[in-house]
Amino acid sequence: MVQFDILRRDLTRFARNPAATALMFAIPLSMAGIFSLVFGSGGGGEAITLEVLVFDEDDSLLSYLLTGASSESSIDQRLQLVPVGEEGYRMMEEGEANALLHIPEGFTKDYLDGKPVKLEIVKNPAQRFLPQLVEEGVSLGAVVLSQAANVFGPELATIGSFMDIEGVPPDVQVGTLSVAINQKIRGLESYLLPPIIDLETMNLATEEDDSDVNILALILPGMSIFGIFLVAQAATRDILLERESGMLRHLLTAPITVAEYVVGKSLSVVVVTALGFIVLVAVGLAAGVAWGPPTAVLALISASSLAAAGTMILIMSLVGSQRQGDAVTTIVIIVWSMLGGAFVQLDGIPTLLQPLSKTTVTYWAVDGFNELIQRGGDFSHILPNLAVLTIFGVVTLAAGAVVLRRRIVTGMV
Amino acid sequence: MIQVEHVRRSFADLVAVDDISFEVRDGEIFGLLGPNGAGKTTTINMICGVLQPDGGRVLVDDADIWIDPRKVKMSLGVVPQEIAVYEDLTARDNLNFWGSLYGLGGAELKRRVDEVLSRVGLAERAGDKVKQFSGGMKRRLNLCMGLLHSPKFLLLDEPTVGIDPQARLNILDVIREVAAGGTTVLYTTHYMDEAEELCDRIAIIDHGRILTEGTLEELTKMAGEGEMIRLTGSFDLDRGRGLFGQIEGVQVHSVADGRAVLSVEVDGPGLTGVLPRLFESELAVDDVSIQKPSLQSVFIRLTGRELRD
Repeated sequence: MVQFDILRRDLTRFARNPAATALMFAIPLSMAGIFSLVFGSGGGGEAITLEVLVFDEDDSLLSYLLTGASSESSIDQRLQLVPVGEEGYRMMEEGEANALLHIPEGFTKDYLDGKPVKLEIVKNPAQRFLPQLVEEGVSLGAVVLSQAANVFGPELATIGSFMDIEGVPPDVQVGTLSVAINQKIRGLESYLLPPIIDLETMNLATEEDDSDVNILALILPGMSIFGIFLVAQAATRDILLERESGMLRHLLTAPITVAEYVVGKSLSVVVVTALGFIVLVAVGLAAGVAWGPPTAVLALISASSLAAAGTMILIMSLVGSQRQGDAVTTIVIIVWSMLGGAFVQLDGIPTLLQPLSKTTVTYWAVDGFNELIQRGGDFSHILPNLAVLTIFGVVTLAAGAVVLRRRIVTGMV
Repeated sequence: MIQVEHVRRSFADLVAVDDISFEVRDGEIFGLLGPNGAGKTTTINMICGVLQPDGGRVLVDDADIWIDPRKVKMSLGVVPQEIAVYEDLTARDNLNFWGSLYGLGGAELKRRVDEVLSRVGLAERAGDKVKQFSGGMKRRLNLCMGLLHSPKFLLLDEPTVGIDPQARLNILDVIREVAAGGTTVLYTTHYMDEAEELCDRIAIIDHGRILTEGTLEELTKMAGEGEMIRLTGSFDLDRGRGLFGQIEGVQVHSVADGRAVLSVEVDGPGLTGVLPRLFESELAVDDVSIQKPSLQSVFIRLTGRELRD
């Protein structure tokens, strides 16, 4: 059958161009690799630690409180405070820390006296996110201190006066201060307790499965869908090349009908796309990605390849030139990949855009693989995905074939 | 035999082929000569079934390609004007694929591939990718694809465009060999020397119409022409036209400032009678060239202009 002759020829062409073929697969694989490196391996990487230099000219109560807080075990793992003198500014210029916190002399006394006070943060200009974290943290602390000064102004002034007393403050004054603070806290109790915001941190890993999450398992399905679109685009580009080079007209002088050519070319695009997908799945398997039940994976590969090939063939049959075809298909691939969850997790797509996601082939393919990989689904769970992808693929393939055939017969090709 | 009967084809408002009829007899090399845009490629495309005529019909051995396409296509070998080969495949890959479309396979296909590659001098490059070939080599491979299945009819659409003289000679030699072996050849070209050297009969086509057809001898006689005279000198259009028109036995084809193309009428005083009259005239002629009757002169006589490459 001539359809298989066309398929064999196209496979031969891919085999004769190993570099170009490898490049097609290199793009999605490289992107998956880069994503994995950026986001880490899911538990195996080192935790981020903020290193902050503290130039404390005040050397008093508040700075003790601040440095004392950082010794709390959970904070200590994330925040390293390094006491420094004026040399801290030089160290910052040399980029030796994420930020420098300067507590000026008299800070505590002025604060307790209710006077305006100022803290200085010097950020590492070569870094973007970590110094920002320090700034946000200090800003939050400043807000808390400011509110404390508003509420406990007189009491703080009394505490300040204790600092001028040599030795231990008189018991009566300490007792009076304690009663005053106690009364204010009782007055605020109805506002502060119970807290209206309860913060709970959850870990996704269950007790039974505390193994590291394979970040590739989250990324590779989306990247693979993106990749098969690139493969389908390359395979379909041939139709336009054949049109523009005169090869198609030449082919039609042989004993082959337009319909046979279109079917053969479509078969070739679907098979080449599916083979490309299998390569990407095999790479994922080698990297430890558990794709799910083989029959379900194969069915999803076939349906996704059909849909990708159909989309590309329909577009290529409608455009006037290879350049137009490349432009339109690239836009479709990028937009669908972004909307359909190939680049970001589906639940990370803005709510407003989520209805649009479901209009893309990418969504149904990515969602199918997420079902198998992340939610442990089987063949029955991906039946809706298979149905949508298959129907879309068959319809676009048929439409593309009809349009292409008509254009060839009427001499537009 | 290929019979083209009152065939027409338009593209929107452009009439590419306008009611043409001719026949290519078994065993002959038939030339379709005309300038670019004359309708040669459209005619070939209609004969080989790529384009459907708006009217008329094409019969190949009495079979209509639109009624029995498979039978007709199996008997046709087509060499298109474009170099229609896959550059990322080897020469052998290309021919293997092409042969498989005609039902060739196995040892027979290999034998035929070796034979045609050898015939055009590409046997040693069979395993090289076509992208490494020169333009002439690609043209020769293009020719191989038309010859591979030993067709009864070979249609060649300007197969020597843009190649070096050596490759051109090789292609023309192969075509002569193929024709000598009994293959009927339809050859389109805008090179008059090729048509004169190669073709048994020639049809001249222009603006989608066949102007005339016959052997080279018949065409020159049909045009009723003697020698062509080309003049250059210091004369303007009006003066030249007036004076040349008065000379007996001369037909004026074109006159421009400083240039003129005339022909000597067969039944007139002849070249020896005409030339003295030209020099006796008051025109300042700097240069005269005389050409024997040729397709060029026929084309000029039929269209009033030269057929340029």
